[in-house]
Parts: sequence; C-alpha cells; structure tokens
Amino acid sequence: MSMIQPDDLVGQTGTVVRSHPVKKILKNPMGLASVVVLLFMVVLAVLANVLAPFDPNFADIGKTLSPGDAVNILGTDSVGRDVWSRLVFGARTTLLSALLCAGVAIAIGLPSGLIAGYYGGKFDGVSNWLVNVLMSLPGIIVLLTVRAAVGPSVWISMVAFGILMAPGYFRLTRTAVQSVRNELYVDAARVAGLSDATILSRHIFSVVRAPIIIQTAVICGVAIAIQSGLEFLGLGDPSVATWGVMLNEGFKNIYLSPVLLVWPVLAIGLTIGALVLLGNAIRDALEDAEKIKAPKRGSNTAQAELATTRHRPERTISATVESGTEHHLVKVSHLGVGYPQADGSIKKVVDDVSFHVDRGEVLGIVGESGSGKSQTAFSILGLLPDNARIVAGSIQFDGKFTVAPTEDRVSQARLSEFRGKRISYIPQEPMSNLDPAFTIGYQLVTPMVRVLKISKAEARQRALKLLDDVGIRFPQKTFDAYPHEVSGGMAQRVLIAGAISCEPDLIIADEPTTALDVTVQADVLDLIRDLQKRLGVGVILVTHNFGVVADLCDRVAVMQNGRLVEDGDVREVLRNPKDPYTQKLLGSMLEGKEPMTMLVSAGMTAAEAAVRDDESDEKELAQ
Amino acid sequence: MVSFILKRIVSGISVLVAISFFTYCLLYFSSTNIARNILGEFASQEQVAAKEVELGLDRPLLVRFFEWAGQAVQGNFGASWFNSEPVIGAITTRLPITLTLVVVAMLCITIVATLLGMAAAIKRGWIDRLVQGAAVLGDAIPDFVLGIVLVAVFAINLHFFPATSSISPDAGMNAWVASMTLPVIALLINGVASVAQQVRSAVIKQMERDYVRTLRSRGIPEWEILFKHVLRSAAPAALTVLSLKFVGMLGGVVIIEQIFALPGMGALAVQSTSMGDIPLVMGVVLYTVVIVIIVNLLVDLINGWLNPKVRVS
Amino acid sequence: MKFGPKSTVVAVLTAAALALTACGGGGGGGNNGAAATTLTLGSVNDMKTFDPTDAHIGHTMPFYQAVYDSLIRRAPGGELEPMLATEWTYNEDHTVLTLKLRTDVTFSDGTKFDATAAKANLDRFKEAKGQDAYQAASLKSVDVIDPATITITLNAPDPAFTYYLTQALGFVASPKAIGTEGIKTDPDGSGPYVYDKASSVKGSQYVFTKREGYWDKDLQKFDKITIKYLVDLTARTNALVSGQVDAALLDPKSGKQAEGSGMVAHKSQVDWHGILLFDRDGAITPALGDVKVRQAINYAFDRKTILEQQYLNEGTVTEQVFGPESGAYVPELDNTYPYDPAKAKALLAEAGYPDGFTLKIPTVAAFDGVNAVYKQQLADVGIKLETETIPPANLVSDMAAGKYSAATFQLYQGEPWVAINQMVSTSALYNPFKSETPDLTALIQAVQNGGDKSADEAKKVNEYLTKNAWFLPLFRLNQMYFSNKKIDVQPQLQQAVPSIYNYAPAK
Repeated sequence: MSMIQPDDLVGQTGTVVRSHPVKKILKNPMGLASVVVLLFMVVLAVLANVLAPFDPNFADIGKTLSPGDAVNILGTDSVGRDVWSRLVFGARTTLLSALLCAGVAIAIGLPSGLIAGYYGGKFDGVSNWLVNVLMSLPGIIVLLTVRAAVGPSVWISMVAFGILMAPGYFRLTRTAVQSVRNELYVDAARVAGLSDATILSRHIFSVVRAPIIIQTAVICGVAIAIQSGLEFLGLGDPSVATWGVMLNEGFKNIYLSPVLLVWPVLAIGLTIGALVLLGNAIRDALEDAEKIKAPKRGSNTAQAELATTRHRPERTISATVESGTEHHLVKVSHLGVGYPQADGSIKKVVDDVSFHVDRGEVLGIVGESGSGKSQTAFSILGLLPDNARIVAGSIQFDGKFTVAPTEDRVSQARLSEFRGKRISYIPQEPMSNLDPAFTIGYQLVTPMVRVLKISKAEARQRALKLLDDVGIRFPQKTFDAYPHEVSGGMAQRVLIAGAISCEPDLIIADEPTTALDVTVQADVLDLIRDLQKRLGVGVILVTHNFGVVADLCDRVAVMQNGRLVEDGDVREVLRNPKDPYTQKLLGSMLEGKEPMTMLVSAGMTAAEAAVRDDESDEKELAQ
Repeated sequence: MVSFILKRIVSGISVLVAISFFTYCLLYFSSTNIARNILGEFASQEQVAAKEVELGLDRPLLVRFFEWAGQAVQGNFGASWFNSEPVIGAITTRLPITLTLVVVAMLCITIVATLLGMAAAIKRGWIDRLVQGAAVLGDAIPDFVLGIVLVAVFAINLHFFPATSSISPDAGMNAWVASMTLPVIALLINGVASVAQQVRSAVIKQMERDYVRTLRSRGIPEWEILFKHVLRSAAPAALTVLSLKFVGMLGGVVIIEQIFALPGMGALAVQSTSMGDIPLVMGVVLYTVVIVIIVNLLVDLINGWLNPKVRVS
Repeated sequence: MKFGPKSTVVAVLTAAALALTACGGGGGGGNNGAAATTLTLGSVNDMKTFDPTDAHIGHTMPFYQAVYDSLIRRAPGGELEPMLATEWTYNEDHTVLTLKLRTDVTFSDGTKFDATAAKANLDRFKEAKGQDAYQAASLKSVDVIDPATITITLNAPDPAFTYYLTQALGFVASPKAIGTEGIKTDPDGSGPYVYDKASSVKGSQYVFTKREGYWDKDLQKFDKITIKYLVDLTARTNALVSGQVDAALLDPKSGKQAEGSGMVAHKSQVDWHGILLFDRDGAITPALGDVKVRQAINYAFDRKTILEQQYLNEGTVTEQVFGPESGAYVPELDNTYPYDPAKAKALLAEAGYPDGFTLKIPTVAAFDGVNAVYKQQLADVGIKLETETIPPANLVSDMAAGKYSAATFQLYQGEPWVAINQMVSTSALYNPFKSETPDLTALIQAVQNGGDKSADEAKKVNEYLTKNAWFLPLFRLNQMYFSNKKIDVQPQLQQAVPSIYNYAPAK
C-alpha cells in the first residue's frame, strides 16, 4: 500500500538518456525478467478476447468451484465463471486502470511541473500549496469518500487516485526543469530565438523522460495494489472482472477452494514485482552502474592470478623491511594498484611506483589527473576504495610494512595505529571534506580525544590554539561555526589545523590549493610551508602544478599513466627535466603564467596573509 | 525557529481548510440517501423528509459547510448521524488502536530498516542481495495479502494468535500484544524492505562523500564514522521516505484493520464513508490530515536539527 | 487500563516477548472454564442506539433483549409467552387489546414498572417515529385502567400487533429515561442484564452483566454477555473457529470450515431469496407489465441447481414468498413453476417478446455472484439482464424510489400481515410502483379483518401473488448459525439471530 516514491528517483533528475538504455535493461537479468512478465501480462490483456474461452461474467451454474479440466483450464469460481477467462480479462481491466491512473497523474503533474519549474512565480507557489494538500491526504480514505460520492467504479477511483499521485510527477518535473532551466544550452536555445514551448518540449522533456518512466512503473504498481485493496474490501465494482474482485472472491471461498486466491495473488504479485524491477533496471541502465563481480576461484584470469600471489593482510606480519631502509619515514616500493573488472581482468591505475620520503622532507608528486598520483597517496593513507587491490609492491612506514609484499590490501588494523596520529591528510576540496552536520570545533576536538586520549576540555584548548596557529583571526567564532558558515579558504585552514592537530610525522596533502581562489592559494601554501618548517614533518604534496612544487618541495616525482617517469631534487628536475613528459608538463605550465608565489610579497608571513582571507569571512560570520 | 513553526502551522491550517471544504463537497453529492439509510427500510416518505430537514440536508452546500465549520472551529464536531456517538468520542476510542499499530510498525521499520540498510551498504554481499530482493518482494506483495496469509497460518492453523482482536477497555496488556502482533507484522514487512533499500542507497551515497575519507584519515574509529556522521547525513533522506510511508500506512491500515477486525480508525472510515455519515467522515478526514501535518512538521524539525544548513535557511 | 501513548508503545514493543505467553491462554472471553458463565456473540450488525423507539427487528434484537424486557416474549418457535404482560385479550372486533401487567418489576434506575410506564413507552414509540415506526401504525391510544392494566385501542384490526409487542414496540424503558439523549448510549431498562458502558467500545464490543434482583432468574443464564460487532464474514468465521466468540452467523461456505472445526450448526430459514419484480404495470420495462412475461421468468430458473451450486444445498427451493410457519404457506404452490426454459420462451413469444427484452437491475458486491447466475439463466430464455453497480447504502432507497423495475434481494419472511405490509400493500416499501388490483385489495382487506382466521385469508393472497408472478421467489436459505460446544442455542423463528433468551451453557 505504499505510496512512496523512492527518494533516489528525485536524485535521478538531470540524467539524459544515453545510448541504448533498452539494451542495457535487457542485458540485466532482472530487467529482462520484468520485461518478459510485463509483456506476458500485456499480451493477456490485448488478446483477452482470443485467449479467453468464455465471457468473464459467463456463469456455468452447474459447475461451480470445479478444479481445472480441459474446458476450464484453471477451474471455475463459486458461481461457475471460468477462472482463466476472468484472469485474462482481469489483466485487461487491471492494467488499463493502472495506466489510466498513471495517465491522469502525468497529465496533471507533468505540465504543471514544467510550468512551475520553468516560470516559477505565482503559479509555482499555488501549485506547491496544492501539492502539499494532495500529499497530506491518505489515499484510501479519499478513495472511500469518492466512492461514497460517485459510486463504485474502477475508472473513477483510478482517476481520483491519479490526481492524488500527480504530485510525484509534479515534483519530479519541477526539480528537473529548475536544474536545467539555467543551463547553458537552454540559454543558448533562448538566445537562438526558440520559443519557450519549443525549449520546453525539445530540451527539458528529454531530461525528465527517464525519471518519468521510472516513476510511472512505480505508480502503476501502487495503483494496482490500491485498486485490488479496495476491491478486496468489497468496495470495488463487482460486475467488472479485475484481479482485486477475484481476490475478494477467493478470500470468500478460502476454506473451500484456496486455489482461487492463488491466481490473482500471483498475477498481482508478479505484475507489481515486475514493475518495481523494471523501474530498478531502468535506473541501473541510466546510472551506468557496472557491478564488479568477485573473481571466480580457479578461473584463469588476472584476478585469479592475483588471488594466488597476494592475499588479505593479517593483523601481524612476520615480514621485516629491507635493512638499511628503516630510517625512511615512508618507503613505497614497486607499488601497483588495480581495480578488478567485470571481465576478470584488472585495470592498473598505479604501476611499479617507488619513492621514499624522509623526516622533514617535502616530496612533490606531480602529474595530470588520471596519472595515479592520488591513488598512490591514498595507498599510503590506506584510504583506497573498497574494491581497489594492491597488485604489486609494498609500502613501509617508519620501518614497518603497512602493505607487505604479499598483501592485496592495505592493512586497516596496522594503519589505524598510524592514521591521524602519525600520518595525516589535507584534502583537496575543503568544503566537502568537513561534515556539514557538525561544528568545526567538534570536528577538531574529536580526533584529538580519540587519538591522543586527552580530555575534551584539553582538546578544546588545543583546537583553539591550532586555529590561531593556522592564522584564523577569531578562533572561538570559527570553533563554534558550522562548515557552511565559513569560506573555502578558511575551511582549508581548518582542515590543515586538523591535519597537524595530532602532531603527525607525515602529512599527505592532496592538491591542497586547487579548489581555492587564486589569492587564497598562496596563503595556504605559505601556511603549509611555515608549519612544515616549524614542526619538521615530512610532507607528500600531490599536485598538478609545478609552481606549487617549485615553491614548496625538496624533491619531486613525476607520474604519467600510473608510472613514475622521473624523480629527483626539485631544482634539478625543474632546471633540467630529462623525461620528455616532464618537459612537456613544465612547458605548458610556464606558458604565460607567473608563479603563484609572486602574488605574495616577500617577507609577508602566513598569519599576515591570513588576515586578508579572514576579512571576507568576518562579514559572513557576522551575518 | 518559532517563526518557522508558526509559518508551518498557518500553512497547515490552510491545507486543513481546503481539504475540509473539498471533502464536504464530495460528501454533499453522496448525501441523497442518508435520511433513508438512517431511518431504515420501514420508514415512511414523510419520516424521511422530516429527517432530511432535521439534518439540514435540504439546505444548500455552502450554508451547510459554514455551519459545520463554525461548529468545528469551536471544537464541536457533532455526533454520528447513525448512532449519536459524539465524533470526538468515536475517534478517541479508536485512535489508540490505529496509532499503536502505525507507531509500533513505524518504530520497528525505522530500527530494523536502518540496521539492515546500513549492513547492506557496508557489508554488501549476501545481506545486500537479501535486502534488495526483499525490497522487491515487499513492494510486490501488498500488505493486506500478507495479512491474509498471516491470519490463515498463525491464527487459524497454529492458534498462536487470536484471528480477530480481543481489545477492549478492560483487556490487559496481553490482549493488546496478542491482538496487535500479527497486524503490526503485516504492516511492517513491506515497509522494512523498502525503507532498508532507501537507507542503503543513502548510506552508500554518504560513504562516498569526501568528508568520510577525511574523518578516517584523522583516526576516527569506523563505527563512530558510521553511526555519528554517515547515519546523520543519511537520515534526512530516510526520514522523508519514512514520513511518506507513514502517510501511506494510515491508508494501508484501513484494510489491515478489516482483516483482523480491529476496532480502529480504518473500520470507522469504511463504515462512515459507506453510510454517508457526514459528521463522522469529516472527523476521520480531519484527524488523518492533522496527523499527517504534524508528522511532516516533525520531520522538517528533525531535518533542521540534523542538518544545520537547512536550519539557517 | 488507560492507553497513554507511552504505555501502548511499550505494550507492543514487548510484543515479541509476550506473544508466546499471551497465545498460550487463548483469546478473549467465553472461552475459559468448564461451565460457561460468560457468553460472547459475534454480531453482523452494529448497535446504533439503545433508544428502544429506534430498535429494529433482526440482527440487533439481542442487544435490546439484554437490557429491556418486552411486554410479550416470543418463544423460539414463535408462540407468544408472558413477560411484562401476564395476559392479553382482544375485544370482539379485534380493535381493543387489554394487557395485564406484572407489578414486581423495577428498572435499573430504581423506578417501578407499572401501567403508566407501559403507556409512556407506547406513546413515546408512536411519537418518536423510529426505525420500526410501522409497528405502531394501527395504534390509536393507550389507556391506564389500573396500575396493573392497560388497554390499547387500534385504528383497525392489526393481526400482527401482538407480535409487534414482542419486538421493538414491546420494549419498555424507564419512564425517566425515555425521550432523553442519554438513553441512546446508556439504557435504563428492566432486562436481565445491565449494560457495562465502561467495558464496552461503541462499534466494537458491547458488554452486559447479570442484573441483581431480576424477577425471572430463568432468563439469566450467564454472568456476562459480550456481543462483538464483526461485520466481515471471514473475520467472524475466524473468531468463532479460534474460540474468540461462542456463536455467530456464518454462511453455507464458511460454515463448512466451522463444521470442520467442531462447531455446531443451528439452521433456520428466515428470508426468501429471489428477484422482486416491481414494475408490474410496465412503467419502466413494459414487458414486465405482462403477467406472461413474469411467469416466463419464473419458469426460466433452475432453482434446484442454483441452490446446490451456490449455497451447497443449504436451503429449500420455493416458488412462494410466504414461509412454512407463517400460516399463509400453501405447499402445492411450490409446483407452480417447474424449471422449463422452453415454456418460458413460449410464454415470452405469446406475450409478444419472441426475441426477449432487456431488464436492468441494481447490483452490489453482496449480490454479484448470484446476479451472474441469474443473468445466465435469463439469457438462456432470451432475456438480457443488465446490472448496474451502486453503493450498497443506496440499494434500499433506490429500490424504494422506483429507480429499477426489478431487483435481486432477500426478504424476511415474517407473519403474513407483516409480509403484506412489507412488499404487497400499496404503502409497502418494496412495492415502489404501488401495484394493486381490485382483487388483491379485497384479499388483503380480508386478511386485516380476519381475526383468528387472518392466516387462512393470507393463503389466498399468497395464491394470487404466486399465480400472477409478482415476484421471482427462488429459495429459502438456511440461516447458518453456528456455536461452539460450550453453549446450547436454539434458533428463533423468523429472526435473523437467536433471541438472547435462547442461549444456555452446555450441559
């Protein structure tokens, strides 16, 4: 009886139907099954006249509740009507009424949603209010009232129910249209002189098409459930053969002939189930979700091979690191990271990468997006996605393996001793890396309480101090603020404060400035440099920007397509790049661009620079 | 905050007024036979005519509506035309039953579906497939069909539970528990499955968020990330589904109450609408809408509490 | 217990834990102990009001009988027995009825029952125009002769009047309570039981407890009687089978299940089933104006097969509308219309309808099955039956308003005079087109003035109606009343369910 529209339907908006979604649906076994079931029901409905040997209301009074035989293949009901004929004609009425319901809902919801979303204004306000009214009505009670008013007709109740279901389409269309309305191509169309109607039908309709199909599948299912529910209560139109009426008839005779209940239940269950599955299949097809199957044992594929050579990490390992390398803070040796594919192969994103970082040293890893630099960094942090596999090599931290040479995953147990405490992380996108639901203070204090095992009050003192250290002018205000209340630059400072809060030995900064305004970028880089000098920590700086590297790093490693193409002293590499890729990268970067650091006048400290950053934030906080 | 609530109350009242009027109009067109139905088959035409005048059925729609509304505003919802039971009394004696059913079912759904959905999102594997499969099955089998099966198996065949309710004012806790168990199960099964699926996708969505990775990098234990951060961010999506489920359940409970012969609001709704007992129908509709409005308001307030961003705007 | 939201939530949260202990003991009342001291009944109809002026024959009688005594009591077989009136006599022309009353009876509010109280109730009944107001139609006046005697003067002889005094008209409430609002929900009568309002839930269950100091201990066989309103047939069956009620009305099909579970059937015949052919003057359907067409319809039905197949043979086929115990029954009339489709066709041809005609009738969910059967039977002789689905609540009023020329229905088979006023006389509800013929009118008058012989006179009415095919009677169905073995129960003649006096703990 659920009148629920799955939440992710709404999230589906904005998806454009890509090539051959139909093929994808049919490839999905669930999708195929649902299409087959629905087609079967449709065939029953369309060919009812041919398939049914009897009129659905024809009663053979001498042959009631008989089991199936050659004449009545599914037997007869309590008044001698042919069950098969009623089932077939029931399919027609039931499907038609479900379509009628969905049709009414679309006819009302779609245009009003289009108009409300496209033009907004008063129409939007009024229709939203109406939607609220409709959504506050419990369906069955309204249908009971409608039935009392206009009589027990399948069609009228389905029209009424369609009206009740219209808000689903309205909301769907409205949000979709709103999100598309200001997109460039719609603007372009407008500039090109297309009328609103043309834009609506040509551009926007294509956007809402897919979610509407999904929604329709869901609504048809709900309509069938509601309708058979009413008929089950004996509140339907008994003279029309529908599955619900048959259900009622079966329930009346449950003690004499329970099989009468089986057919309509099966028909209803299969049809609604198929509609639900179809909706899911369409959604999957559109989301392009490729599911990764677990490798089958013994199959001769790259995955199977991997399984024989590498295995899950154990809590303690016997393997010891190569002697003479213990002094390196981090040492990555011949690291390979891959993702299992559906066909049994493994797609490598990092391949044979080796480097090391010592205490107090700053290593830059440079490369374009997709070069595997972030994957390498995440391997050290142990924050690779669940399905990633270490296919080769090892990682050691402070003389201990975090990934031993035979392991296919990063040992979370071993890394949790280091993470937060000794290795910390500065992310790329400041806003999305703070939980919007908690205050900044909370997000600074909790890790310290957990990792350093200090009291909350102490952690609070430290947090305020840290905020001050990273150059935030009003630590208390920021401490109490929620992430959305501060600017991007400030959020990045907060994240840096978080990264150093537990006095780590190694900081991994993943493009720490990319998401920031140009003016703020320099401030943040200065801050990192200051802190690194002051705390003497090792830093791995992942970036695509040679300017940043030149500014901060002692050594640099250049990556391309998952491989390390060149590494060495930063001055050496910058002055005298050996690999052609490095040369190309350097060349493109320097073309007409000034190094970032030039924006900051020499001698200006991080704290001073932060003041500028804070001034804009202050206004926000004051509001 | 206060202005937000006030705003919502005002809009709730406007919805209430609109629905009252709409329902009254619908009932107006169905009220042709009421006097005859009240008086029974042996009443004479004169008696019927007299009754129509007594009930005001001879007066125009708007006059009747405003008369009713005027009384209703003062808290006087009248009495049933058929058995003279005051509308307020009729609803208050039946409400505990329906609310118990719905609230308990919702609580179970919330707890079980959250745990299942999270397990499916995190563990994946068989539990994920189970949840996905159950969700389809739950959607495919209407709850009343499940109710029939439960009665047939657990009450008629196994005698574990009474087939129909044994609830009465002097009945003890045992009677309540015995009477409510099967209907609650019938109500919650499909809800658990579909809500678990929603929780699952919301949790998966949240698990992929950047801040989760950052929290991990800070050394926050996995359970804390899950229950404190991910669940909280996934909650608004789940809450919206739950509130829709709640509204749906107020309708679904009508059929369930019929199957188990529970004297709740659903039975009252079927009776009053089929007889055209206007005061009672209006009472039932208003009660339902008020509950829906309150639930929606609560959901908004909880969402605001969960998500400070919403709170500000 | 009070149901605060908290306690109810807790209640069901512990459901899983307590369920096992709860079900061990079995469900509700009437199910524990060896000799039954409590009685729990499942009722098809809900109790609308306790106001006796609004009492209605049929399913709700037990509710009233529990709290009110009637002036005359009707034995299960239909004989009249003394109750509040110890004796009753008519005058010569059957227009004045003298009642001798008991003097040792008090109402539950302490007021004494006497002639004044009886008069007050009868007067009030006539004035209130309740559901069964027709019962007081012939009542002209009531006079108190002495505290233990009243005389009732009638406008015209009413052969059913003493029967009415066992029904709604006969119930006596405390004179202090009659006419008040309170009596609708809080009865004050002199009956064997008192209504326990605190334990009852309107629309669900009604509890009555034994009244102390009641004048006739023989009528108080239980300490407590609970009547549960269970409208759904399957729910009623489930309740009976699982022991939650001791007795309930089922139907032939659900009866099979009850019998299988060891329930005892108590069968009686109350209604006749068939089609009411209203439009005997052919106002809407001209064909029905022809007696040959109506006879053809009667010939078209294979009553025996329908009864067998539809009702598992639980009933008796009939071609007349009066029941065997009514006194107006004529056994030979049941051979008037044997199943003969050829003859039906011939009659239709004679009447000028060789290709048949179309007959439109209303249908509701309850009649859906049989209407499909009727449609088939009529189609076999060339008549097309069209059904129009209407809300059940509108059925009676639509029929009474003359919207349909015929309708499937089942009608109560009562005393002849009651039956005539129900479906034959021009004022009858089920004679919406007010069909009448001089012959019939004369026959009806003879019944009214027939005194002791009125039943014999009614036989002539019966013959007239059958020969002229005013109706299509098909069968009298068994009223499938079931009880468990803890109680004994006797069916009540011409009443949908047994009177409250008919139950006793099993010996």
